[in-house]
Amino acid sequence: MRRAGAMLLLVAAACHSNDLIGPPVVPGKVILAATVPVVPNYGIHDTYIRDGIAMVCVWNSGLLIYDVGNGIKGGTPYKPVLVGSVVPSADGIGAGPEIHNAWWFWNPTNGQKKYLFLGQEGPGKIGSQSSGDIHVIDVSDLTKPTEVGFFHLAGAGTHNFWMDEAHQILYAAYYDAGVVSIDVSGTLSGDISSRLIDQVAPGTDTDTTYTWGVQLYHGSLYAIDMLSGLTQLSTDSTGALARVAGSDNVETRFSSDLSIDTLAGYVYTGTWDHQQRTGLAGSAVYVWSLSASGAPTRVNSITTTQVGAVSDVKVSPDGKLLMFTTENGPNSGFYFYSLADPAAPSFLAYYQTGSEGIHTGKWAEIGGHLYAFGAKNPTNPALIILDVTGLDN
Amino acid sequence: MAQGPSLQVGAQAIPVATESNAIPHGRSYGETRLVQPMVMIRAATGSERLVLQGAADFEGLTIKHAELTPGAWGEGFADRRHPHTYVHELMLLAPDLLRDLHLPAHLSLGLGKGFVPFGTDDPMSRPVERFPVNHHLSQILERAVALAGVQAGPAELEASLFNGDEPQHPDQWPNVSRVGDSWSLRFTLRPVRGFEWEVSRAFVRSPETRDAQGLDASKWSSAVRWDGPVLGKPVYAMLEWSQSTAPGAYTLRSVLFEAQASAGAHQPYFRLERTDRPEEERTLDPFVVLRPIVDNSILGVTRWTIGTLGYAVQAGRIWKVSWRPFVEGSLISVTQVGGGIFNPKVFYGKEQHWSLTGGVRLAWGMGAHRMGRYEQMPDASMAMPMARP
Repeated sequence: MRRAGAMLLLVAAACHSNDLIGPPVVPGKVILAATVPVVPNYGIHDTYIRDGIAMVCVWNSGLLIYDVGNGIKGGTPYKPVLVGSVVPSADGIGAGPEIHNAWWFWNPTNGQKKYLFLGQEGPGKIGSQSSGDIHVIDVSDLTKPTEVGFFHLAGAGTHNFWMDEAHQILYAAYYDAGVVSIDVSGTLSGDISSRLIDQVAPGTDTDTTYTWGVQLYHGSLYAIDMLSGLTQLSTDSTGALARVAGSDNVETRFSSDLSIDTLAGYVYTGTWDHQQRTGLAGSAVYVWSLSASGAPTRVNSITTTQVGAVSDVKVSPDGKLLMFTTENGPNSGFYFYSLADPAAPSFLAYYQTGSEGIHTGKWAEIGGHLYAFGAKNPTNPALIILDVTGLDN
Repeated sequence: MAQGPSLQVGAQAIPVATESNAIPHGRSYGETRLVQPMVMIRAATGSERLVLQGAADFEGLTIKHAELTPGAWGEGFADRRHPHTYVHELMLLAPDLLRDLHLPAHLSLGLGKGFVPFGTDDPMSRPVERFPVNHHLSQILERAVALAGVQAGPAELEASLFNGDEPQHPDQWPNVSRVGDSWSLRFTLRPVRGFEWEVSRAFVRSPETRDAQGLDASKWSSAVRWDGPVLGKPVYAMLEWSQSTAPGAYTLRSVLFEAQASAGAHQPYFRLERTDRPEEERTLDPFVVLRPIVDNSILGVTRWTIGTLGYAVQAGRIWKVSWRPFVEGSLISVTQVGGGIFNPKVFYGKEQHWSLTGGVRLAWGMGAHRMGRYEQMPDASMAMPMARP
């Protein structure tokens, strides 16, 4: 009998469990304009907005084109209207097209707005291995986008883009392959892999390169690399690339996105801490000043607790605001800071979207208003559009 | 003489206490839980022409946040073994369709939710209480499965079609729209009584995502198993190798050996395994991985080498409930394999760890069977080694 009693006690103790804490709610001075649900395949990864058209990258559902103020279908940021869609080929990637990001190329040399570049984020091992091509989509007719070509780099996969549209050069972060420049002049059709101009690893060796994103500024291309931090690369009208300054300057965390205040000459970079590099909690935005030669020096930081990553960083078109998005934690969502002092951003507002958070965020000026577009992670993935005009005054 | 209809019912549960320092952020942690609480049923028509085999698993109630298990992974957890679904097994079986033809071959069919004919027996029916790291490499379970088996002499070939998606929580059913997107084959040879060799092959479509948008798994397994007397004492031993490849992404491999000897009521046992594990993004709860996943990248691969030594004793029965106290301890090594950003030394604070578990296996009613095999007829070799007196 005593043994039976002990057994019951052990069973009761064994049924004990702990519950997780819930996220705090912090109100912000922003207006929710629209929520556009997407099919959870896995969901939406990024958005490119230009001329009131939102190019929404929805993983294996492909590209969805929305009128958010262009007028082609009567859409507004408060009522986006689907214009067209395309599911690109998987290019041999078993898990599907996995569409992650986009750039709509407006070619100033001929006035064409024909091509859209889509990034495919294939399977990889973060820090050492990646896969996925750049897909070329003909969007001459926005209602019928059509895949016309692809760029493949052996042994690596693409991530975020920037363009030197005047010189018809596409710059692409290519994870373990660093940064590439691609000639996208003329007609693009079929396999354009031979149009590779140059390639450079921002890290000091191949073991320290896993490049997330790039941005062109004053003749330099700035690359943010998960392993090696922020690097200044030189480039020119031919697309030739060379490492100039920076690198190996974020050693305690893995880096994520970047954005440059092109008026003040400051760079803002995020950190990716889903896997802590050295045990530091939370995630950070680092503020970098640029020297006369363009070399970056870290001057400040903003730390957000209870999140897994600063998933995107963007300076507003007028340089007044800094937006960054966070994911995977109770403090996930949109953060808005004033850049009245670009070296020391000051907090303005936070918009919470659930603990899954926002994967990427983008600015758009439409009809005299300023909007923030966000890619809400699953569960219940959606395009979130915030009217933040009130913050911009 | 024809055998009449039969109904067997049983139940089991294991209260356990575990302490380990294979814990994220260099901590040591202990907990007590009730694991593997199950009710099993086996109903058969006359002469076992049709058999209904079922098992209800209540881990969704007792280990909602999983069981502390160094190296465990899958179904949304890491370093903790996930709870199984409430309807763990519900199979309708026709064990020997050709019996009236008196052919030298036996044909069996099965339909329902249960084990896919692939790999080795479920760890629940093996000597060590703590699940091995290779559970998701070496077994495929809780699927909606249609299977067929042909047995001729010492050889048996099984084939199945099933749904690739793994359950995401205990009350979830298989995605029936995906039944048939995955398949398996298993060949088993039993040249002498007690000895068994199997080789298995499977393709599992997108196991980690319910909507079939993730990476596939191409799997192999081979194992030899002995379950019989050695020097007059009951001995169980099993050596297995398994491999799972996500095409274009990574390959995981495992080698595992385990054995148990019985001398009267005393049952010492041992397990040594070396298994690769994918490292995924975790939430702020370091035992929980991000689900749904937002892309198909992993953080790296770790290799777990674990040696476990255990001792159990058949302590008798109270109110028809059999008691089998046990204690088992493990030494654990975790290293990084290949590239990636997951550094086990940073994440766990060190690369060498230990774990200690004590508990009591409680069982009532019908004897537990070999989970993972739907054989022609139950016999002595179908009893699970840890349950044998």
